[in-house]
Amino acid sequence: MEQWLEWARGPFFRASFAIMILGLLRVLAFNAFSMARLIIKSRKNKREIPWSTVVSETLKWMFPVQRGFNQRPVFSFTSILFHAGIIITPIFLGAHIVLWDRGLGISWPSISQAAADYLTILAVVTGMALFIFRVSSRSSRAISRFQDYFLPLLIIVPFITGYLAMHPSINPVSWHAAMFIHVMSGNLILVLLPFTKMSHVALFPTTQLVSELGWYLEPDSGENVMKELGKEGESI
Amino acid sequence: MESKPSYSYHAEPFELAERPRRFLEAFSAILKHSNYGPVLDSYIRLSTKCARCTASCPVYEASSDPRDVPCMRSELLFRVYRRYFTIAGQLRARLFDDFTLTDEYIDHMAEEMWRCTACKRCKSFCPMGIDHGMITHLSRWILSEIGITPKAMVVSVREQLEGKTKNTSAIPMVAMKDSCEFLEEELEEMFPDQKIKFPMDVEGAEYVFFPAVSDYLMEADTLMGNAAMLHATGTSWTIGTQNFDGIDYGLFCSDRMWDRIIKAQVEEIKRLKGKVMLIGECGHASRSAKEGMQNFIPPEDRVPVVNIMELAYEHFKSGRLKLKKGVIKKKTTYHDPCNIARKGWIIEQPREILRHICEDFVEMTPRGKDNYCCGGGGGTVSIDEIHEFRMLIGGKTKAEQIKRTGAYYIVAPCANCKKQTEEIIKAHKIDAQKVGLHDLLLKAIEF
Repeated sequence: MEQWLEWARGPFFRASFAIMILGLLRVLAFNAFSMARLIIKSRKNKREIPWSTVVSETLKWMFPVQRGFNQRPVFSFTSILFHAGIIITPIFLGAHIVLWDRGLGISWPSISQAAADYLTILAVVTGMALFIFRVSSRSSRAISRFQDYFLPLLIIVPFITGYLAMHPSINPVSWHAAMFIHVMSGNLILVLLPFTKMSHVALFPTTQLVSELGWYLEPDSGENVMKELGKEGESI
Repeated sequence: MESKPSYSYHAEPFELAERPRRFLEAFSAILKHSNYGPVLDSYIRLSTKCARCTASCPVYEASSDPRDVPCMRSELLFRVYRRYFTIAGQLRARLFDDFTLTDEYIDHMAEEMWRCTACKRCKSFCPMGIDHGMITHLSRWILSEIGITPKAMVVSVREQLEGKTKNTSAIPMVAMKDSCEFLEEELEEMFPDQKIKFPMDVEGAEYVFFPAVSDYLMEADTLMGNAAMLHATGTSWTIGTQNFDGIDYGLFCSDRMWDRIIKAQVEEIKRLKGKVMLIGECGHASRSAKEGMQNFIPPEDRVPVVNIMELAYEHFKSGRLKLKKGVIKKKTTYHDPCNIARKGWIIEQPREILRHICEDFVEMTPRGKDNYCCGGGGGTVSIDEIHEFRMLIGGKTKAEQIKRTGAYYIVAPCANCKKQTEEIIKAHKIDAQKVGLHDLLLKAIEF
């Protein structure tokens, strides 16, 4: 088991992390290039992009507390708390920072173990709630794909197993087993991140901008589409 | 032998052969010459299928049918984009029996895309900010390029661009002039010492007026209110007899038509050496003109676009437009047309005027940017054959909203909203009357 764990935390983690970073970079790069291209096009066409609106809307979406109150508060706050739990703990957990320090020599402030415990429980409870919401609504079932059911369940696994590893008294399996599942499920999440809806971590900040730019067209676009389809001279 | 597909709306006969291929060709051509590609690249990955949009959509609220979930409808196009326009999609198709575009699928899309009123309420509710109205808009363009569009839209656009009368209601210029002369006589009776006119073809006039052309025949009070307001404030304006229709149904069915229509309208402004495009009380015409001006008119030829309510408000604030206080005694409420309210363009302006001239002004909930679509948006109001859908599903949420206000006058400053509101009032037996803002202004104006 020790060997497996070393392999999971060592080469396999590094590979998974690399896949995640490269995948996200690809998505980010394509997104950035597209945005740049569209912004340059709109400059050429002397169009004013309403930057203050775009930025304020983006921030409103990123920190949707007011909107959460207005629109289906129970679901909204479950989701907001879920995100708080799954973002803060993995990054600011002392045990994780120690690994980065050992590996790359970088470190940053950590949260207390008690805080991490609470956030972990929060993440698990809200994650399960989100899964239950998804399964118990007709409209939600109608549109959900495999990844929509699978991902919330997958995401809470490293949190559950991490918590168990840190609390041996309630851990039904050995520390090594819990850690192995913890690391492997974490690796799986990292690998899947760029290829599923989890990629919204990289794409989400530019959504307001892209939605604004999507409505922009150029003076000759209609004509060009017509020519492309060979419809010159065709009546309506 | 293929049987002709039939939809809830009438469509003119279209080419049945090889529709999937031609659909994808049209899709590629459009992606090449627009910004929709990067939008779709983001949206197909961002969409989390959370179904939050269900809380926002007036159609879904009335039908509770999963087909009306905005994200479900957008997924119809996302699936096509993923399969044919992404590398991952093309690879998957080689390895697995995946989704393929078929005639049935296109028929399904054609049906679903016209159940949406493109009100964009879903965009405000989507946690990712996905603009499902834009996806409907894009899908409709692609479908129109393979010949599938409601006949009502096609006939209007054809008449406006290729017909003799150059407007969507086929109103001959002489009929329009006759109508205006008749209104001038009415106005003379109402205000004998004012000479309120509908100026025709005045070269160099500042504002060139483009109402929804149906106003000339169907909304006499609105037009008279318009003319009275412009006269009272000494505004220099004119109607262009070569092109007097502000309607631009290209916004609803094809960006290519949107392009041609706004260009024709601007040509008329240039002919008359006008300075500003003044849109009458019409929601989509305002947005088509404002955004279309930026999209399709080269920067050096652009003119500012102003909605007549903006102008009335400006004059009201400056004191040029004098209105009697509290003359409207009956309870009044205001409906926000999606195309001018969703982005926050015109929300408080008409309300300030109404609060002044009405004794009993009440708000709907929700209001402003979050207000519900009348149920006839996105061109659906012009499709008579789906009247029942509009009354029982599309417009049901609005009908309940109106009932809750208990108001008599429903100010709906948009030609399409007016038609839909009138129909809802009749169908749901509400004791109310639809009016335009300028209808009420006419009652309160002071010279």
